[in-house]
Amino acid sequence: MLAELDSIKSDALIVIEAINDDSGLEEARVGFLGKKGRLTAASAGMRDVPKDQKKDVGQKLNEVRTAITAALDEKGAALTATRDTAAFASIDATLPSRSLPQGGLHPLTHVLNEAVSILRRMGFALAEGPEIETEWHCFDALNTPEDHPARNESDTFYFENGKLLRTHTSSVQIRTMEKEVPPVRIIAPGSAFRRDEIDATHLSAFHQLEGLYVDKKVTLADLKGTLEYFFRELFGSKTEVRFRPHFFPFTEPSFEVDLKLHATGKAAKWIEIAGCGIVDPAVFSEVSGKRGDLAYDPEDISGFAFGMGLDRLAMIMYGIPDLRLLIENDVRFLGQFTK
Amino acid sequence: MHVSLKWLSDHVDFSEYSMAELDDLLTFAGIEVEGIQSLPDNLVVAEVLSSDKHPDADKLSICQVDDGSGKSRQIVCGAKNYKVGDKVPLALPGCLLDAGDGETFEIKEGKLRGVESLGMMCAASEIGLTDDVDGLMLLSPALEPGTPLSEVYPAVFQLEITPNRPDCLSHLGVARELAALAKKELAGVGHYGDSSTATREAKEDEIKISTESCPYYAARSIRGVKVGQSPAWLKEKLESIGLRPINNIVDITNYVMMEMGQPLHAFDMTMLNGGIHVREAAAGEEFLALDGEVYPLTEEDMVIADSAKAIAIGGVMGGEDSGVTEATTDVLLESAYFVTSKVRRTARRLNLHSDSSYRFERGVDPHQVNGASDLATRLILELAGGRADEEIVTCGEIPVVPASVSLNNDYCRSVIGADIKDDSIEAILTSLGLSKGDHGWQIPTYRLDLIRPVDLVEEVARVYGLDNVPSNHGAWFSPASKADQAFDYVSILQSRLSSQGFFEVRNLKLISDQQLRDDLATNHRGMSPIRLKNPLNDEQDYLRPGLVPGLLATASRNQRFGNADLRLFEMGRVFTATPKGGEVEHEHLAMLMMGGRRSRNWADAKPSNLDIHDLRAALEEVCPNGLNLVAVDDDRMLCACSIEIGRGKKAVKLGLAGIVLPARARELDLEAPVLVAEMNLKRLAAASTSERNYEELPKFPGSSRDVAMLVSADMAAGTVADFFANHEEPLLESVELFDVFQDPNGEKLPADKKSFAYSIYYRSENRTLEAVEVEAAHAKLLDSLKSGLDVEFR
Repeated sequence: MLAELDSIKSDALIVIEAINDDSGLEEARVGFLGKKGRLTAASAGMRDVPKDQKKDVGQKLNEVRTAITAALDEKGAALTATRDTAAFASIDATLPSRSLPQGGLHPLTHVLNEAVSILRRMGFALAEGPEIETEWHCFDALNTPEDHPARNESDTFYFENGKLLRTHTSSVQIRTMEKEVPPVRIIAPGSAFRRDEIDATHLSAFHQLEGLYVDKKVTLADLKGTLEYFFRELFGSKTEVRFRPHFFPFTEPSFEVDLKLHATGKAAKWIEIAGCGIVDPAVFSEVSGKRGDLAYDPEDISGFAFGMGLDRLAMIMYGIPDLRLLIENDVRFLGQFTK
Repeated sequence: MHVSLKWLSDHVDFSEYSMAELDDLLTFAGIEVEGIQSLPDNLVVAEVLSSDKHPDADKLSICQVDDGSGKSRQIVCGAKNYKVGDKVPLALPGCLLDAGDGETFEIKEGKLRGVESLGMMCAASEIGLTDDVDGLMLLSPALEPGTPLSEVYPAVFQLEITPNRPDCLSHLGVARELAALAKKELAGVGHYGDSSTATREAKEDEIKISTESCPYYAARSIRGVKVGQSPAWLKEKLESIGLRPINNIVDITNYVMMEMGQPLHAFDMTMLNGGIHVREAAAGEEFLALDGEVYPLTEEDMVIADSAKAIAIGGVMGGEDSGVTEATTDVLLESAYFVTSKVRRTARRLNLHSDSSYRFERGVDPHQVNGASDLATRLILELAGGRADEEIVTCGEIPVVPASVSLNNDYCRSVIGADIKDDSIEAILTSLGLSKGDHGWQIPTYRLDLIRPVDLVEEVARVYGLDNVPSNHGAWFSPASKADQAFDYVSILQSRLSSQGFFEVRNLKLISDQQLRDDLATNHRGMSPIRLKNPLNDEQDYLRPGLVPGLLATASRNQRFGNADLRLFEMGRVFTATPKGGEVEHEHLAMLMMGGRRSRNWADAKPSNLDIHDLRAALEEVCPNGLNLVAVDDDRMLCACSIEIGRGKKAVKLGLAGIVLPARARELDLEAPVLVAEMNLKRLAAASTSERNYEELPKFPGSSRDVAMLVSADMAAGTVADFFANHEEPLLESVELFDVFQDPNGEKLPADKKSFAYSIYYRSENRTLEAVEVEAAHAKLLDSLKSGLDVEFR
C-alpha cells in the first residue's frame, strides 16, 4: 500500500511537471484527486489495511495528497504567471502617452495670483470698482489738475455721457474710501485703459495692481518696507529695490520703484516697476468733501498708495518681449505657462 | 529735454563725476535719465583739401581731406554744399553710426563707382545731432583736423522732467538742482533774475493787453542789427541738444530759452503794423505760422497781434510774415509771461507743440522775464551789432508767486517715518534755495511747485533719500471682502477648467462693430452695447457686451496659427447700457470648444470632433449642482440652450450655450463645429452651493432594471429627464441613459422614431428590497412613462 502511494505520488509529480495549460491542470486534478482519481481510489483501500499499519498509511496518504495539491497549485500559479507575462509582453512603454488635452492659465493670471497671494499674506484685502468711471473718481478726486494732459480726449477714452474708461486703478482708492472708514488696507487688481495705439510696449487696455493703506501715522518708512518685502517675495530675497523721486498728482512725496534686473547674458540694469507715494492731503480733502464727515481728515490720518503694471510684471517674470503676445492668446504661447 | 554736459559745465563743474555718477545724481533728484547720447569713436573733424568730379558719376566728388594724421585721405562724397577749406565730420573706417531702431552700421573702406573711399563725410542727421539732412554738416573753421567730434559735442542727457518741475526745463535750472544736491557752487548766473535795465510802462499805442491770459508783456527794440550766421560756440551749443541753427537772432532766442527756460520771440519790426496787441483771437481768424502751416483760431486762443493781424500765437509760435530773416535790420524782442492753461489748450487743440509752448504750459518763472530779455539783448548787440533802446517797454504786472510756506519739522518726520534732525531738514531746504524767514520758508520764484507744507516734505524726502529711511512693515488682519470671495471663486473655476484641458485667454475689452453680432450675452430687454465717443480706430470702438466675440476672434487667430483643436475660456468684465442710459458691468465666464476631442496620436489616429455634449461636460464642471440645458429659440446659434441651474419655475438662468452658426464660423475661417457658452459669474456663484456635507453611504444593496423605449424622433432627452425628475417614487435612486439609437433608413427602427435605453436603480435606505417591491415600483414607472410620454417599450 505504501509503495503504491509512493508510485502515485511520483507519477503525479511527473504528470503535473509536464502540464502546460489550464485544461491539463484540471485533467490532472481530476485524474489524481477527483472522485474517481487514483489517490481517491487508493484511499478507499484504507479499510483493508491492518490496524497496526493504519497510522503509517494514513500519514502517507495525507503526505501524498498534500504534495500533489501543492504541485497542482504551484503549477497553476506558474501557468498564471506565464500567461500574465505573455499578456503584457507586447506592450511598448516607450510609446508616447495617450494625450490628455492640455490646459492652463494665462500668464497674467499666474502673475496676478502670485502677487495677490503675497499681499494677502501681508494683510491686504481685495477691492474693486467700475471700469466705466466718472471724471471725478478718475481725476478730480485724485488731485489731477483741470487741464492735465491725461484728461485729454487724445489720451483717454470717453463716452457721450461724459464718463470715461478709467486710466488707472487708482480710482478704486476713491471708491473704497467713499464706502469704508480707516484703517483701510486694500489691493485692487484690474483693467485700465489709455488711448494708445497697440505696439510691443503699449496696450490700449492693460492690467494694474493698486494698493492703498490708510491709517493713523502711516509713513514713507511703512511704504518702503511694504514694497521691499513684496518685491523680494515676488522676485527673490536678494532682489535689489530702489526708490526714485518722481511726481504723481495724487501722492506727495512720490516715488518710482526700480528693480535691478539680472537677465542672463546682459549687464544688470534698473527697470521701472511701480509708482508709489504718500497719499496727497488734497485726495483726503476731496474724499472728505464727498463723504461729508471727518473720517479722512488729513490732519488726523495718513496713507500710502502704490500701483504697478501687471503686464509689465509678466514681461519681466517670464521674459516676454512683446505685450501683444498677451492679447493674441496663441495657445502655443499659453501652453508655455502650464508648468 | 536734451541737456548737454558741456553746457551744464558753464554753471557747475562735474569734471570729477563719471557718467554713471551723474546719471545717479540726476535719477535721485527725481529727473529720469531716459538716455545718454554720445558721439561714436572714430568720428573726427576733417578739413576738405580738394574736391574733384568723379569720372564715372555726375553726382559724386572725390575729395582729399586732412584727418589730422598728417597724410591726406581720399573720400568719395555725394554732397554739394561744401567748399575746399571747410571743416566737416568724418567717420573713419571702424566708426559705428546709428542706423535707427537700435541698430548700427560700420563705416568701411570701399570703392564707389570704382574709386577708393576711405571713410564717410557726414550730415548732421547721419551722426544723430540734428535732423538736418541737407548736405554735410559744416563745423567751426577754428577746429583742428583730427579732433574727435565727441570733444566738440560731448555727451547729451535725454531727461524726463516731471510736470511739477518746470524750473528744470533749462540748463541753468538743471545745473541749479544738481549743484544743490552735489553741494557745489553754481557759477555763471549773472543774467538770472530781475533785470537791472530800466523799464517803462508802454503807451496805449505801443503795447495793449486785452486778455487775462497774458499778465505781463515786455518788449525791447534793437535797431540796425546784421542778421547772419551764429558763431561756432553758439551753433555747437544748439546742435549738441538737437536744435538746428537758423540765424544769429533766432539762435540767440533759442539759446536763452534753453539756458534760462524763458521762451522769447524776435519780430522783424519793419514787418509790424503799429503797436502790439495781446488779445483773444477772433472766431474764424486764420494764422500762418512760421512752420508754413495755416491754423484756424478760435476765441479760446490768444494771439499777439499788430493793428492789422495776428503775428504770433501767444507762447506757441510766431508768424511766417513777421519773423527775422536775413533782410531784417530792426528787431522787436518779446519776453512775456503767459498763463499755463491757455497755452496748453491752444497747443493741444492745434496739435502744435513747440519748445516754447512746452515751457509756458508747465510754467515759467515770471521773475526772469526781463532778465531773459537782457541776456538776449546783450548777445544780439555782441553778435549782430545794432543799438538797443534804453528801456524795456512793459505792459501788465509781474505776477506775485507764493512767498513763504511754513513747515513743522515734526510733521515732516511723521510723514517720512525717519528721525531726521531739525538741522538736516533746514540744511536740505536751504541748499535748494529756500531761506528761513519769520513766516516760514521763503520760496524762490522759480519753484512754482512749492505751495503747501507737504511740498516741502517732499523736498526733504527726496534729498534725504529713501535709502536712509528705515523699512517698516507689519502684518494686519483684514476680513475677507466681497472682492476676496469673488477672487477665490474665480480661482476655483480657473483651476477646474484648466485641469479639464481649457486654456484661459484674456482678450481686449474693446471690440469692433462687426464683432457685436457674435455677442450672446446682451439680453434683449433694451440693453445695448456701449460705444466709445473717441475710439482709436474702428476695430476697437465698442466695449464688449459679452465674451464670445473675443473668443471667436481668438479661435480664428489660432486657426491661422495652425492650432486646430481648441478649448478656451475667459473670465472677465462685460459692459452694457441700460435703456435709461446707465451702464452696468458684469463679470462673465465664457467657453469655446472646437476641433478634435483629443490631439491625433498613435492610439487614436482620427479623433472625433468635440460636440455639444463635451460642452455640456465642461459646463457641468463649473456648475456642479443641477445643471440643466433648456433648448431655446435664438437665431444667433444652432442648438441654442439656456444654461440653467435647477428646473422649472425655480430655475436660475445663467446664460446661453450652443453652436455658432456655420455661416458665421466660415466667415471667421472656422471649419469645425464651434461650441460656445457664456454665463453670468455672479449668478453662477450664487446658484452653486459650495457647502460640503457628509451624507451616510447606502448600507443596503439596491436593484437595477433596464428599459429600452421607442420615442418620437424629435423628443428631447431632456423631456424624458424631466419626466424622471418629476416621477414620485421613493425607491427610485437614479436613472442613467446608456443607449441612444436611431436608424434613418428605417430598417431596424421606424425612421420617425428613436430608441432610448435607461438603467434604473431602486434602493431603500433601510432594508434590502424584495424582488416584488422592485417589480411593483418598476411597473408603476413603466405605466406612467407610457401614459405620460407615449412611448413604446422594446
